[in-house]
Amino acid sequence: MCRLFNRFKKLFIKKPKLAAAVEELRIAFKDRYHSFKLLLNANNRALEIMANIERALQGKQPFGMTFVRSSCTAVSVNVFNMIKNIEKLAQGKYGKLNGRFNDIQQNIDRLLSQKKSTEDERLIIPLDAVNKEMTDLVGSKMANLGEIKNRLQIKVPGGFIITAAAYERFIRENDLQAEIDRRFQSTDVDNMEKLYTLSSEIQQLIIRSGVPDDLADDVMQAWKQLESETKDRITLALRSSALGEDTQDSSFAGQYRSELNVSIDSIFYAYKEVLASKYSLQAITYRLNRGFRDEDISMCVGCMAMVDAVAGGVIYSRNPVDMRDDSIFINSAWGLPKSVVDGSDACDLFVVSRKAPMEIIREDIKAKERKFVCFPEEGVCRMELTGDTGDLASIDKKQAFDLAEIVVKIEQYYAIPQDIEWAIAQDGSVYILQCRPLQQMEMEKKDIPESEFNADHEAVITRGGITASPGAACGTVYLADKGIDVLRFPEGAVLVTRQALPRWASLLNRSAAVVTEQGGFAGHLANVAREFGVPALFGVPGAVDRLSNGELVTVDADSLTIYKGKIEPLLVKSATKKNLMEGSPVYENLRQVSGLIVPLNLLDPDSSDFSPANCKTFHDITRFIHEKSVKEMFDFGKEHDFSEKSSKQLFYNVPMQWWILNLDDGFKEEVDGKYVKLENIVSIPMLAFWGGFTAIPWDGPPAIDGKGLISVIFQSTTNRALTPGVRSAYADRNYFMISKNYCSLSSRLGYHFSILEALVSERSIENYVSFQFKGGAADYQRRLKRVHFIGDILEKQDFRVEIKEDNLIARVEGHEMDYMKKRLEILGYLTLHTRQLDMIMANNATLNHYRSKIYKDIQNILNSK
Amino acid sequence: MEKMKMLVVDDEERFLSTTKKLLAKKGYDAVTAASGAEALEKIRVQNIHVVILDVKMPGMDGNATLKEIKRQYPLTEVIMLTGHATMESAIDGLKSGAIDYLMKPADIDEIIQKAEEAFEKRQGLEEKIRVAKMRKLMKSPSEIIQET
Repeated sequence: MCRLFNRFKKLFIKKPKLAAAVEELRIAFKDRYHSFKLLLNANNRALEIMANIERALQGKQPFGMTFVRSSCTAVSVNVFNMIKNIEKLAQGKYGKLNGRFNDIQQNIDRLLSQKKSTEDERLIIPLDAVNKEMTDLVGSKMANLGEIKNRLQIKVPGGFIITAAAYERFIRENDLQAEIDRRFQSTDVDNMEKLYTLSSEIQQLIIRSGVPDDLADDVMQAWKQLESETKDRITLALRSSALGEDTQDSSFAGQYRSELNVSIDSIFYAYKEVLASKYSLQAITYRLNRGFRDEDISMCVGCMAMVDAVAGGVIYSRNPVDMRDDSIFINSAWGLPKSVVDGSDACDLFVVSRKAPMEIIREDIKAKERKFVCFPEEGVCRMELTGDTGDLASIDKKQAFDLAEIVVKIEQYYAIPQDIEWAIAQDGSVYILQCRPLQQMEMEKKDIPESEFNADHEAVITRGGITASPGAACGTVYLADKGIDVLRFPEGAVLVTRQALPRWASLLNRSAAVVTEQGGFAGHLANVAREFGVPALFGVPGAVDRLSNGELVTVDADSLTIYKGKIEPLLVKSATKKNLMEGSPVYENLRQVSGLIVPLNLLDPDSSDFSPANCKTFHDITRFIHEKSVKEMFDFGKEHDFSEKSSKQLFYNVPMQWWILNLDDGFKEEVDGKYVKLENIVSIPMLAFWGGFTAIPWDGPPAIDGKGLISVIFQSTTNRALTPGVRSAYADRNYFMISKNYCSLSSRLGYHFSILEALVSERSIENYVSFQFKGGAADYQRRLKRVHFIGDILEKQDFRVEIKEDNLIARVEGHEMDYMKKRLEILGYLTLHTRQLDMIMANNATLNHYRSKIYKDIQNILNSK
Repeated sequence: MEKMKMLVVDDEERFLSTTKKLLAKKGYDAVTAASGAEALEKIRVQNIHVVILDVKMPGMDGNATLKEIKRQYPLTEVIMLTGHATMESAIDGLKSGAIDYLMKPADIDEIIQKAEEAFEKRQGLEEKIRVAKMRKLMKSPSEIIQET
């Protein structure tokens, strides 16, 4: 009805417009053009963010929830802006989009805010009441310990746990989470220096916060209860037992703080210190690299009566770097086990065979320089060992067997290899302080024939030490000594340091390999190195003096050797670094939300399914709006009978089936009448495209008659019989919208359609070309083949290509003008020359002929001025 | 042609001074305000085209300030800026009339690009009003804004 009326109006009410009316139309058009531009900008940003999400999902780079959240926010803001602008252009024709947008947004929100919550509101739970089912309340570390204490009757010091609920209370009452999230978002996490500042600021924030009163009361009460049970004055060890770190293969070794020998006067300060260590530099980088969500990590704190140890250490129930070795490895030092755990000093090693009767198969007694001991009141200190003590074994054979027995018992109970921290008290009794699953690694078997690998002996810098993490790697030496070195450490260097301190863990994702003078494979740093798949060679005497800064070396942790220079045969065998993001909570979260953002379901604008109601993702909405916005822009001139802003037919020798709408400054001068000549067009991207389109004559099938090449091509597009599925007059033409720096082209040539959009100006950062291509006349298989054929060509020309079914999307952005113009020429060339390639896709010989011709042509285009 | 005048609103003094300096370096004229109330006062006494407005401020927060600006000065375009954006608050801001949204850390080119877009929109509106006046159709400015 409405259309009829419009036609009627055009026939009978056509009269010259008043100058003022023209001026108003001009303004209205400008207004629409502005909306259109905003819409395109938003479209581009949305697509860019989607591309970033997809790249992140390849899992090669670590990312945190900040990335996930801000990507979701940014993409929804841009999609919303597109909706706002299409509403203006189409006067509310697509109101249904709002409903779709809200649904999708709410679903994303739901996925982002999901969080495990527990029913149990207890702030304190005594260790005697804890078992391994209580991981969500007390963290896996304390749950494991409670389990062996209460169900296996293994000697564990008495204590209590300040629970996850207590942590939540602490954070909530001090209103910390929003502030922490805000600070994370404003920080560039790739910048170590900024990260360092962020880490200390957040830790300060936590330490300055107050402990809620009821929590403080509960802690005091639990303390008194514990003291009455032991019938003596006690001090406590506070250990982190974080929640949410219990996914497979993650150790969180040494990422958090433990406070030893804490008196009742400092318990709350110590508690906050442990909480704050959730934001230590190494913990932040660890979570980032392993894809843990900040909000999932609740810090529970185990408070256990302090054991004033004579000796202590760490036991591995099996060899961590060799799966086939089931011997028990006991690392031991004088005093508290701290020096073993933090790798600060040499320690004794006893290797015990598992089969009864047990036997010590290796005994390595080191010269130990210091020990950690408790001060009488509170705190611990490092003491120099005097006399012969340092050279003596820190435990005797009987104690070694006792320890081995306990470990086997625990391992049998859990049925997985164990990593156990222990201490022997003044009265000789053995206490277990911590137990957790041990990760074992397969020693890489190097099948390199001697003949191939003839590293001459001059290349060897050192031999010796122990394999803390297997593998081989090459890089330049960086000698790290002070904390500041964390900020200076260059990407891909070999970390060389005296002590295997946990603080170097934050460098592991940037290190090729790690070499230390002190420390064994039982320390935290070794744990994390294995987890990240970074080769580590520890206990190399004189390493710091024998290696010099900047020197290129190859570290072979398996053969305990460091070589000068790059030894290729060793590196070939070493496995690529593990992909640690995949499967992590952050990764999973992104994968889930991306399902509502990235997939494109609306592929065919001619299909009746192409409607707002069928928009399932943000990408669908952007695709729909983009298509409609182009139509709206073209219809304006027609509907208002406004010649100046109506589309013009391109005149290039003859009139062509190409219609051009000048959005702004795309013409040299305004055009009256029906046609615009090519000479009158000044749109940089359109001219580049056109240049490619006409650069090299088309000689492919079908055979050409004498009417002239290009006109044939264009005429075929007006033959409706050749273009199936076309229903509207709008669809069977080629539409350019141009301004000086912009062009968009919707085209149907032969049996396929393509959308090209480009912004090309002096401002490189804004430049982009995007190209979408679909369809063809041949069967589906051949169409697919062609799409991949084109995709390969574009990828070689630096386009980012995404293919779904027979739909191809390619983008390139951010390069300078000349570069972008060449890409457009290539697209112009391909638009013409791949036109009917699907017809020959089944024939490999012909295909190869075309492929080499196309590559040759493209080379010519790239070389031409 | 009229030059764009920007107002940057944030309670962080450091952010205000660096942003102002960076904008000046690129040839843009910006004034600053440390609170929502101060922002409204600045807009009252001088002609501000585009406001860059932080969401999180003590007292009158960003969204409240936005609503007040749009109520009193509907021609002024507002770009919201935040360090901690939840999707919801971002969309709320847009629904209340903000033209766009920026997340901290936003680089200066991004701020400028969005401000230019906003400024262009405002100029389009002003031109529309001018033409409407010329034709003596004299719709009220707010009527014209509502149409767009």
